[in-house]
Amino acid sequence: MPAVALPATAEWLAALAGEPLPGRRQEDWRFTDLAALQAVAPQFWGGSDPLAHVVLPAGVTRLAGAEVPTLRDQTLQATGSAAAWTVRLNQGASPHGLALRVSGAAGPLQLQLDAGDGPGLLALQLLLVLEEGASLELLLHHSSRGANATSLVTLAQLARGARLNLGVLAAGDARASLLSHLAISQAPASELKLTTAVGGWGLSRLEPRVCQIEGAAQTRLRALQLVDGQELADTHSQVSFGGPEGELDQLHKVVADGAGRSVFNGAVRVPRQAQQTNAAQLSRSLLLSERARVDTKPELEIVADDVKCAHGATVSRLQQNELFYLQSRGIGADQASKLLLRGYCEEVLRELPAGAAACHPLQLLLPERP
Amino acid sequence: MIRPDAPLLLEIRDLHARVEDQPILKGVNLTLRAGEIHAVMGRNGSGKSTLSKVLAGHPAYTVTAGSVTYRGADLLELDPEQRARIGLFLGFQYPVEIPGVSNLEFLRVATNARRAERGEDELDTFAFEDLVRERLKVVQMDPAFLERSVNEGFSGGEKKRNEILQMALLEPLVAILDETDSGLDIDALRIVADGVSQLAGPDNATLLITHYQRLLDLITPDYVHVMAAGRILRTGGKELALELERTGYDWVDQELANLEATGEREPVEVA
Amino acid sequence: MSTATVGDLVSQPYKHGFVTDIETEKIAKGLSEDVVRLISSKKDEPDFLLAFRLRAYRQWLQMDEPNWAALGYPGIDYQNIIYYAAPKQQEKKASLDEVDPKLLETFEKLGIPLSEQKRLSNVAVDAVFDSVSIATTYREKLAEHGVIFCSISEAVKEHPDLIEQYLGTVVPSNDNYFAALNSAVFSDGSFVFIPKGVECPMELSTYFRINSADTGQFERTLIVAEEGASVSYLEGCTAPMFDTNQLHAAVVELVVLDDASIKYSTVQNWYAGDENGVGGIYNFVTKRGQCRGDRSRISWTQVETGSAITWKYPSCVLQGADSVGEFYSVALTNNRQQADTGTKMIHVGPRTRSTIVSKGISAGHSSNSYRGLVQIGPKAVGAKNYSQCDSMLIGDQAAANTYPYIRSQQPDAAVEHEASTCRISADQLFYLQTRGIGFEEAVSMMVSGFCRDVFNQLPMEFAAEADKLLALKLEGSVG
Repeated sequence: MPAVALPATAEWLAALAGEPLPGRRQEDWRFTDLAALQAVAPQFWGGSDPLAHVVLPAGVTRLAGAEVPTLRDQTLQATGSAAAWTVRLNQGASPHGLALRVSGAAGPLQLQLDAGDGPGLLALQLLLVLEEGASLELLLHHSSRGANATSLVTLAQLARGARLNLGVLAAGDARASLLSHLAISQAPASELKLTTAVGGWGLSRLEPRVCQIEGAAQTRLRALQLVDGQELADTHSQVSFGGPEGELDQLHKVVADGAGRSVFNGAVRVPRQAQQTNAAQLSRSLLLSERARVDTKPELEIVADDVKCAHGATVSRLQQNELFYLQSRGIGADQASKLLLRGYCEEVLRELPAGAAACHPLQLLLPERP
Repeated sequence: MIRPDAPLLLEIRDLHARVEDQPILKGVNLTLRAGEIHAVMGRNGSGKSTLSKVLAGHPAYTVTAGSVTYRGADLLELDPEQRARIGLFLGFQYPVEIPGVSNLEFLRVATNARRAERGEDELDTFAFEDLVRERLKVVQMDPAFLERSVNEGFSGGEKKRNEILQMALLEPLVAILDETDSGLDIDALRIVADGVSQLAGPDNATLLITHYQRLLDLITPDYVHVMAAGRILRTGGKELALELERTGYDWVDQELANLEATGEREPVEVA
Repeated sequence: MSTATVGDLVSQPYKHGFVTDIETEKIAKGLSEDVVRLISSKKDEPDFLLAFRLRAYRQWLQMDEPNWAALGYPGIDYQNIIYYAAPKQQEKKASLDEVDPKLLETFEKLGIPLSEQKRLSNVAVDAVFDSVSIATTYREKLAEHGVIFCSISEAVKEHPDLIEQYLGTVVPSNDNYFAALNSAVFSDGSFVFIPKGVECPMELSTYFRINSADTGQFERTLIVAEEGASVSYLEGCTAPMFDTNQLHAAVVELVVLDDASIKYSTVQNWYAGDENGVGGIYNFVTKRGQCRGDRSRISWTQVETGSAITWKYPSCVLQGADSVGEFYSVALTNNRQQADTGTKMIHVGPRTRSTIVSKGISAGHSSNSYRGLVQIGPKAVGAKNYSQCDSMLIGDQAAANTYPYIRSQQPDAAVEHEASTCRISADQLFYLQTRGIGFEEAVSMMVSGFCRDVFNQLPMEFAAEADKLLALKLEGSVG
């Protein structure tokens, strides 16, 4: 069922953000209908702070409260995120916060961000400072079972040689919205692996923004977004290179079924100082239904001559030759489709941090259809 | 073939060169006369490939001292394309791929540039195609490679054959072949060596830069030079290569150490 | 690298920058309803056309100049443009002998001889000077085949029914800001009609020349290919060097019925301004073709080298089942030029196919963007698109942007997009040089190699010309 917008919600959200809700006239929101978000009751989510009682593994400590605003603003500035509407909304909603410092090789960490069935807006903010040579594996596990909205802003700074393996596994509800902005700055020789897997939300909007401040870092982005029913999933990613010899390897995958809509906008910016950047972006969309719709828009902006930037995009249904191959081995068409679809999703899901396997991401995101 | 009265083609005198701030050549002396085949051997980093690039005029290398005279004229003041037109040829260790540029057109433009320098008529596409088909035999190359882009998607052996084909078309007076044998299987090596032997004659000279004896089993050099630390440490006949094969390069280190110890700056030529 | 840099190579003087000294009839600067009426009355137009113009003008007044492409140019003062300028020769002459020799000379200087003795034997030419067509060659010969090739002003008089039937049906007058402006004030352009079953016996071409300063050029081209007909059409453009910017806002409409095909090629070399970006043409053009019939085909090929700013997306609306759209483009920018170009392939009918090959070369401080849309509608079962966008960067001050949008609503369709970026590497240049190939020739070989897939689509007579043009434009820019 399409969500019914509550007239007061738009105003309430606009007041929190200090700016009206983005509309279709804004290029970044052209295909992103906010109806599901406006159907959430205009109130804060009433449950207990999911970040309050996190048990931290060795190597991870809480940052002193006084340091947080400076570090937060640094990251927002580096990635140009401060003006993003999703960030303004989050800031305006006085989010529950968790600010962590990581030194050395820290143990894995998993955060359960469950909005449950309670109504309203759950606003969370996460700040991660990875010191030189530090490494962390972090899984953010979002879920919802009701008409609510989760707003999460994740800010991360990776110092020289730091390694962050960040996974977002988000299985939502057709009445729920997820607004996730990830602002990550990388110093040289740092490695970021960001894997996002999102499905089942009435509206999801992911905004990963990565800035390699002086280049010479490695960024690996893997994403899977699934839509079915009336769902809308949107990813606007942006990777910019502030210096030479940076690497980006990005794969964005989509499965669009039912009357779902998928939006992907992938910006890669290579300014003049970013010589010898090596960036590859591939967007692959599976369109499974006549009523579903896929919008894909890579954006490559290059002002450096000695760079490798390749990108590709495909939109199609399951490969007929692959189907045929399986069928020729005696597997029925339905079963073959399912197998191929699972394989298609697994390519991304298996890159989630190891802890994700226990959550059975494939079952969460791709429930067996009747 | 050594003939002391044969015309001088290339004279390298005390050549010093650097790339960026790194000095690589530190006083190379070498003389090539018509009809001669020289081999320059040495370990990786001894300066062999730099020598070939400097002779061809690669812009990344700066000559800091010394001279190179080609048939009596100063070679070093010429652009790379002028050197090629007057008959200096460099066979690359790693021939570059040039997508989009047809191999046939490339070969024709290069051949005509050389012909123009020699006062010969330009070949039209038909005449050139006849010529190239004849020269293809030198390297037993499939004419299909003419239709592709320059070196694009060629295997290592195909690239080297394409180099020798260019040599066959340009008819150089001095051919420098930089590690032409590297990365070739035994059949490809034989074809390439055979091509080089066919093209070597009494009026031209060949400088083989190589790591291994195996190319010299197929092409017999008149002189063998051993290069180390940017200079020629020892010069001898073909037996020097065999000696190297037997004893390895360890004596080179010894000799270098001695040079350092005696403060000897000038390279010695040992006959 | 050699002393000559690829950078030096690009900055060759513009060879078409001369002004023809000829008496010109101009109307006063500025735009109003009266000006629209004046243009219409000067051309002695039927009522339907005046109504079309006035409707467009009123729509234009309601519209805002678009800015989404983020092109940088100072605001255009639409009241400071002359909307009609014509060389003072009263009537279009029946015979070329009566055309002012200065005009013939101008075109001859541009490499487009029109006179009986010198003209190209297999290409019919319509020559447009400022706002009017001054001569069309081979009209009679074409007429024998039933082909109509004339200026659009003549077509309005001689074939008003065809104009009324097709004008504005592909690009409606309110399609966009510049299309509305063009619909209100268009002065001349070419009209081509290929009747059912006819394969046009020769290449058709229109040559556009802007001569007067402060004059806008608003040409309108309409090409109709009836069932089973086919034609290949080429346009060329040049302008003198002025240090003010001139607006060129053309509209081109193509209509293709069952089994028909139109191949439309453009070699655009309007004055690009100087190395500091002073002067040059604003080339804001709307080009669109409709494959109305089944198995119809439209192929756009463009070589865009001129203009201070180019802003155009030749598009195909693929309505007919099994219809085919193609777009082959080379866009070269240098100095301060800006090009924002690409195509839209709108797949409506079943099994429609489209191919996009775009090659952008950016040098100097220029900016070169590919912007494209591939849209697969819900009824486009079995539709296929393949796009390839390659950029070549010369120097580290030029920008190459790629914005390939894909929208699909049809699961049984396949859309594939690939893009790459390359440069002319020092190693490649050195390799060619060691084979005796000079620096400039080496650069030009690599650039034309990069563009080969597109040049192969040009009519033979023009492919070599395009190659030369590119080499010329690039002189001085690799380094």
